[in-house]
Amino acid sequence: MTVFLRRAAAMAHKETLHISRDAWTLYVGLVLPLVLLVLLGFGVSFDLDHMPLQVVDLDHSPESRALIEDFTAAGEFVLAGSLASGDEAAQAFAAKQSVAVLTIPEGYARALARSEVATVGLLLDGSDGQSAQQAVTRADALARIASLRSTGRAVVPPLAAATWTRFNPAGRSALFLVPGISAYVLALVAVLLTALSVAREWERGSMEQLFCTPVRRGEIIVGKLVPYLCMGIVQVLLVLAAGAWVFGVPARGDLFTLGLASLLFMLGMLGQGVLISIITRNQMVATQASTMTSMLPSMLLSGFIFPVDNMPLLLQGISHLVPARYYIDILRGVLLKGNGLSESLFELAMLVAFASLMMGLSLARFRRKLA
Amino acid sequence: MTASIVVEHLTRRFGSFTAVDDVSFEVGRGEIFGYLGANGAGKTTTIRMLCGLVPPTAGDARVTGHSIGRHPEQVKQAIGYMSQRFSLYPELRVGENLSFFGGAYGLWGRGLRSRIDEVLELVDLVGHEHDRTSDLPGGMRQRVALAGAILHRPAVVFLDEPTAGVDPVARRRFWSLIRRLSAEGTTIFVTTHYMDEAEYCARVGLMVAGRLPALDSPAGLKATYVPGRVWSVQGPHLPRDTRARLSAVEGVTEVQSMGAGWRVRTEERVQAADLAGPLGPDAVATLDAATLEDVFLAVVNADAQKAGTARALGGA
Repeated sequence: MTVFLRRAAAMAHKETLHISRDAWTLYVGLVLPLVLLVLLGFGVSFDLDHMPLQVVDLDHSPESRALIEDFTAAGEFVLAGSLASGDEAAQAFAAKQSVAVLTIPEGYARALARSEVATVGLLLDGSDGQSAQQAVTRADALARIASLRSTGRAVVPPLAAATWTRFNPAGRSALFLVPGISAYVLALVAVLLTALSVAREWERGSMEQLFCTPVRRGEIIVGKLVPYLCMGIVQVLLVLAAGAWVFGVPARGDLFTLGLASLLFMLGMLGQGVLISIITRNQMVATQASTMTSMLPSMLLSGFIFPVDNMPLLLQGISHLVPARYYIDILRGVLLKGNGLSESLFELAMLVAFASLMMGLSLARFRRKLA
Repeated sequence: MTASIVVEHLTRRFGSFTAVDDVSFEVGRGEIFGYLGANGAGKTTTIRMLCGLVPPTAGDARVTGHSIGRHPEQVKQAIGYMSQRFSLYPELRVGENLSFFGGAYGLWGRGLRSRIDEVLELVDLVGHEHDRTSDLPGGMRQRVALAGAILHRPAVVFLDEPTAGVDPVARRRFWSLIRRLSAEGTTIFVTTHYMDEAEYCARVGLMVAGRLPALDSPAGLKATYVPGRVWSVQGPHLPRDTRARLSAVEGVTEVQSMGAGWRVRTEERVQAADLAGPLGPDAVATLDAATLEDVFLAVVNADAQKAGTARALGGA
């Protein structure tokens, strides 16, 4: 056992020297995660503001002008101009002058005065589904406000669902996205760096030299993983700290669960990196394989951006094999909902299973032979 | 002679290609054993099998008494290996490389420190401990690699073309180190394709196409494969048809152009005058020594002839 530790320690020390001497590794390991977090955090946002709105006002009444005022007052819509008729909307959409056209028919003010149902039209550019949907939601709310003002009382339907959103009451997408970005960045960096570091040894021929020493497979793997695991812990802390500081992501739940989940997730990712490089033995192929097997699933199949429940059944099935999915669940749970260990047991178990599988496969596939 | 390496019918096939074909030999303790052969003759595959990197297809070998097939781990602890590409980490300092390889052999703490100082002294690199390995010239890097291979005091050291790409002065220096290790009882197994280097070896095995047709001391090999005499024929005004004239002399077996003159192999009975005579008054023939290169060419030719005969017989 002590010999195991001594040899693994020699490997780990050597690996630490490699990392500390390689500017690229340091950049990818410590700077890139923050860069990605900030870029994705600001770039991937579902919060729509300043949607350009064009107006066809056929009524020309104070009431119609008040309605336009209502639409543009809160900042979700900005007035991008007036059109003579609704027929020009297609042209306006094509030229990207607006995403919505509000049509107020002649007689709008008269209908209001008679307490009849006044109908206005909202024409939407459906080519951007996200924007269109947001526009509908906002328009609906604005219409309700307008009718409240004109009638002096709320329209009370016979049945109303009183809804409120917990955990993220303002509906800010950063809160929803930052945990996903963290998982995505950690997955990418951990898999890529370990895969490259092992593949480099094959390419240089130093693996051959290692195989000629009594160093065992387990010692090589442990020696490779420990320094990258330490680096990963620093990454997690950096990313979460940046998430809290830049995007105001809270940490409401149990930090021990968070730490445990991060450790298990990192182990799985590092194991995946080692496995890739054992199979490919080549930095080029290892890079491609790492990207394909960590970056894409962590982005597309983890619930990071696209909710898993909306996916076709086949993809939902595949998503069960993506460890980022469980890690993101735990992160969102702990950070936003205040979850602890007891709510995260299943996800933790899945992370353990993935990490064990990767380590097991690595050991099984790793032969200290050249042929 | 106590054998440090015993090789018995060692064979390695890669698919239908036989890289090493039924090779057997022994290397004594403290011996410098040279393994000579063209690229692709099977030298590296042999060394990799003896180091436990490639399992043999058939046959076995014992290194310091441990079977490479059954106990490769014991073999690895007992040997040092320096591969063709110096397998040092270029971005690490000399001392860091050595302490890593020491650690890989289970050395640590003060024992490792003092052993590193010892080997640095031995390979004459004291004071270079903090140099970055990538900044060292080839000759020095090669001595660092050797230092790394002997840290754990192995009984056998395998060197796979250790002097490839190193200048002659550095090569000579390296070989004096090798002789010193051998004098202290370390068995040295070295592959090379520098014929002059093979002269430093106590015995030389010649590999041709996976087989080991010749194995002896350099002197013994020359006596067996280059019988007769080797002459150097020179002169300021040798005639244009010198080759033809020399070949016509009774007892001449081979004529090679060599610099400004000719290198001629003859039977024992041929005298200097027999060669110089037909070439005019200023031609001089002097006795020259056979080299391992002559041996190598003779062995390769004999092997090709044998193979040709075998094919002819097979076809008949």
